Amino acid sequence: MNQKRCSLRMIRYEIRNLNGNLMTHFFAFVFPNFFSLILVKAIGSDVPGEYLQQFKTEIMLSVSLVIPLSVMFLGYGALYSNEVEREIPLRMRLFGYQEKSLITAKLAAHLILMTIAVLAYGIFWTVVIGIAKPAVSSFLILLLCLYLVGAVFLVVSHALANIFRKFSITFGVEMFFYFLVMIVCGMMGVRTSQLPDALQKVAALFPMSYICNDFASFWQGGQYNFMPLIQSFLFVGAMAGILLLYALYKSRRATV
Amino acid sequence: MLLTIRNLTVDYGKQTALMIDRPISFERGERIGVIGSNGAGKSTLVKALLGLVDYKGRIETDLTPDEMAVHMQFNQYAVTMPVKVILETILNTSIKENKKLREMISFFEFEPCLKKKINALSGGQKQKLTVLMVMMQDAKLTVYDEVTSGLDFETRQKLMEKLAEWYRKKESTLLVVSHYYEELEQLADKILLLDEGKVIAYGPKEELFTTYCGSSVLILENNEKNRDLTRDFSVLHSPQHLIALSCRNEEEELKIISLFIRHNVSFKRSSSDIEIMSINAKEKYYEKKEAV
Repeated sequence: MNQKRCSLRMIRYEIRNLNGNLMTHFFAFVFPNFFSLILVKAIGSDVPGEYLQQFKTEIMLSVSLVIPLSVMFLGYGALYSNEVEREIPLRMRLFGYQEKSLITAKLAAHLILMTIAVLAYGIFWTVVIGIAKPAVSSFLILLLCLYLVGAVFLVVSHALANIFRKFSITFGVEMFFYFLVMIVCGMMGVRTSQLPDALQKVAALFPMSYICNDFASFWQGGQYNFMPLIQSFLFVGAMAGILLLYALYKSRRATV
Repeated sequence: MLLTIRNLTVDYGKQTALMIDRPISFERGERIGVIGSNGAGKSTLVKALLGLVDYKGRIETDLTPDEMAVHMQFNQYAVTMPVKVILETILNTSIKENKKLREMISFFEFEPCLKKKINALSGGQKQKLTVLMVMMQDAKLTVYDEVTSGLDFETRQKLMEKLAEWYRKKESTLLVVSHYYEELEQLADKILLLDEGKVIAYGPKEELFTTYCGSSVLILENNEKNRDLTRDFSVLHSPQHLIALSCRNEEEELKIISLFIRHNVSFKRSSSDIEIMSINAKEKYYEKKEAV
């Protein structure tokens, strides 16, 4: 029996698998667009005209983070922890699929869905709400950050599902973390600077804080010190790596 | 030699689930039946072979766990797509382009299930799906762990017949774990008898039968008339509702049979009954242990 690697067939399978989870689609396509619209309509009317564009850009940047977190973290966690609880990944491994191949196919399928969701979000903002034209570099940096956030949090989600091995616990922990991160990083309408000092320090550990609070300042060009953002990516990346290593150790197959 | 187990111990917490203290070897092409009651260590042995549990001791083989095809007691797959997609993805092939797979599907009469989702399949159909995919692996070592558990008698029989028919012409080594003696009679040529995590007996089916039962056994109903009739013969341990007589040779067997005919006694003859062999092997093992 040959080792089975990640193939197009495997990615198609994971896309079909993903399409069976309607909650992911809701959080990827419906929630960010409507949430943005509600925030712009509800709060935007109180914002003076000269600041409206800046306000809209901040909302657009903050809510854009809902997509990687919903698709790659919550959506993936819901799907994969359910599979782990039913021992489907073990069954796949017994059929010769390496852990690496499984996670690659899942990552690819989720990235495809995330790309479509980001595109839909961009179109919605351009057509329905109206968005300030970004500097090319700022736009590319935002895209890169969204994908990095998505990839890192998919790894975290994968690790948590393998550690807890129960859908209910994994999903509960992820939901708690999701809303905590959204509040602390300024994605729920409260700026990080308005939070107590301790929470501000927690927020500084996550790249989402910088995207929500600072990216609007150079959206149409300008200077920005990326070092804290890079450090936060390194921090969450390292945490995700440690969690994944621990999860792999827990679910390892001994070499005969 | 395909695989040798040496001093294998698996502990679950403080409890020892499996302790194989003598070398056990599987040769290429052998059909090994693993039998034992609940808690005997059968599934633990399979998990140790696959590296799914931590163990002490050695399992010497050139095979990696990924070179073994394994049926285990779970048949869960993604519920969001038709079985055909699952089958083609797991086997990384297309039914249309794979003649062997098409033959296998038809061999198992599985065509009507292909468009259904996994939740719409019966227990037997789910078992068939896993078995079909395991067979398609054509691995050097294939393990079936309680392949018929949860199936009704008729489906069990049919599945075992299919398995026996398929592997008749194959050279793969089979490790079949089962509760059912008749399944192993059909599939195995060697028996590994486990009890409470220990090896009670291991060897070719016929050799073990001769060691523990003689050249043949005659089995009859356990009632007063039959007990009186068989009092002077060598009675083996057997299930409570039966009497099993050991025959050392043909002459003795003929003598007993003619007695049964004269008294109009219904009986069954066997020279490979795994159940009677297992019961007597266990009795002898514990008798010996007590004596020591």
